Amino acid sequence: MLDRILSELPRFFGPYNLIFLGEALLSTLALSAAGCLVGCLVGFPIALLRRTRGWATLPLRAIATGFVELFRRVPFLVTLLTIFFVSQAVGLSLSTFSVGLVSVCLIASAFISEIVRGGLASVHANQTDAARVLNLSSRQTLVHVVLPQAWKVIIPPIFGFFVLFIKDTALASQVGVLELTYASKVLNSRGFSAVLVFGTILLLYFALSYPLSRLGALLEIRLAVRRSQRD
Amino acid sequence: MNYTLHYGQVIGYLPDLLIGAAISLEIAFLAFSGGMVIGLVGALARTHGGRFLSAMAKAYVIFFTNTPQLAQIYFIFFGLPDLGILLSPFQAVLLGMTLNAGAYLTEIQRAGLASVRRSELEAAQTLGMSRLQQVRYVILPHIIRMLFPPLSNQYIMVTLGTSMASVFGVEELTGRALNVNSTTFRSIEIFSLTAAIYVGMTLLASLSLTVAGHHLFRARMKTT
Repeated sequence: MLDRILSELPRFFGPYNLIFLGEALLSTLALSAAGCLVGCLVGFPIALLRRTRGWATLPLRAIATGFVELFRRVPFLVTLLTIFFVSQAVGLSLSTFSVGLVSVCLIASAFISEIVRGGLASVHANQTDAARVLNLSSRQTLVHVVLPQAWKVIIPPIFGFFVLFIKDTALASQVGVLELTYASKVLNSRGFSAVLVFGTILLLYFALSYPLSRLGALLEIRLAVRRSQRD
Repeated sequence: MNYTLHYGQVIGYLPDLLIGAAISLEIAFLAFSGGMVIGLVGALARTHGGRFLSAMAKAYVIFFTNTPQLAQIYFIFFGLPDLGILLSPFQAVLLGMTLNAGAYLTEIQRAGLASVRRSELEAAQTLGMSRLQQVRYVILPHIIRMLFPPLSNQYIMVTLGTSMASVFGVEELTGRALNVNSTTFRSIEIFSLTAAIYVGMTLLASLSLTVAGHHLFRARMKTT
């Protein structure tokens, strides 16, 4: 077993395979980064929209709530397959990478909007009441009262989500996006030992995800300390 | 965009899909139960296990929470046969999901154990409680109340994770949906139906867990 792996090593880490793995790694990174970025950009307005009150925004609120609940309650794999097959059925010829991209953006928006909503809700209602008494507009209340207190609650779980998210992009391999997991399947079919191939892939994912989770844990401690000092 | 929806062609497969959903629930239940046991052992090792056991448990948690579940199951399904361990798809998926859930549940249960404050135990001792009474009346109620919401969330995550089993040919909900899709080619209908079943499954789980947590343990629920 071990001698087989050792004898495969030089061939496995040959230049061609390294370029192949590098491209796959880039693809995983691109999917994760796009998801995180779009997720933050779209998730934040969704959370704000869901905070509004009154009849005027009710239909929009209902749509936003439905969107968030739907994508948080359907497995990522099913979302991917749905978008893949639906885009085929209606005659859109999206590349598999675009299918992956659309799916990760949808999922990330839903999850991040829920994190942001929880963070905004963590600011006590007394604060917004006080701001209204001071005659601050709702924009001013948000920028000067709610956000300065909420961001410390929002940032750590967002990093936690990024870590979950990098790992979720592995599922994109199932619609044929050439990222790390897909690359490992290809290398395995080329005859390299499964232990070697999948072990390497696990280590690569670990290298991507571990620094981020450390950063998240660090931020959580830092921000929590400051918050308890203030109280 | 000239696609006409024909739900009539897939609605006949609904019983088939529901059996798949039952299998999904079975995998989720088994993986979660196994994960709870691993998590309890892991959490005890982390808090009371001494340096070596604690480091082992920590390494396990860090490794399994920082790599994708799919890649872990690939390793188990394709890699372990090289080492002489041959598992059926169902066993490989179950093993991977259990180990993965165990890592997250270790962290959750560790936080629960850490949340019991010394002053609470001292108060219990002052009241003349025996060690067993302390566990029964102070420690367990406290831990259950603290842990019920995050455990419920984790259960939902495990339920959603079972869709990965389809990749290895286990015929659970997603696997069956893929089968029906390749027989009927009614992709939009079949996948929207599947998504609706998942939404129903998780909604039902959240709802019943919230009600149970509220009434049984007075847990403050904020489940997904």
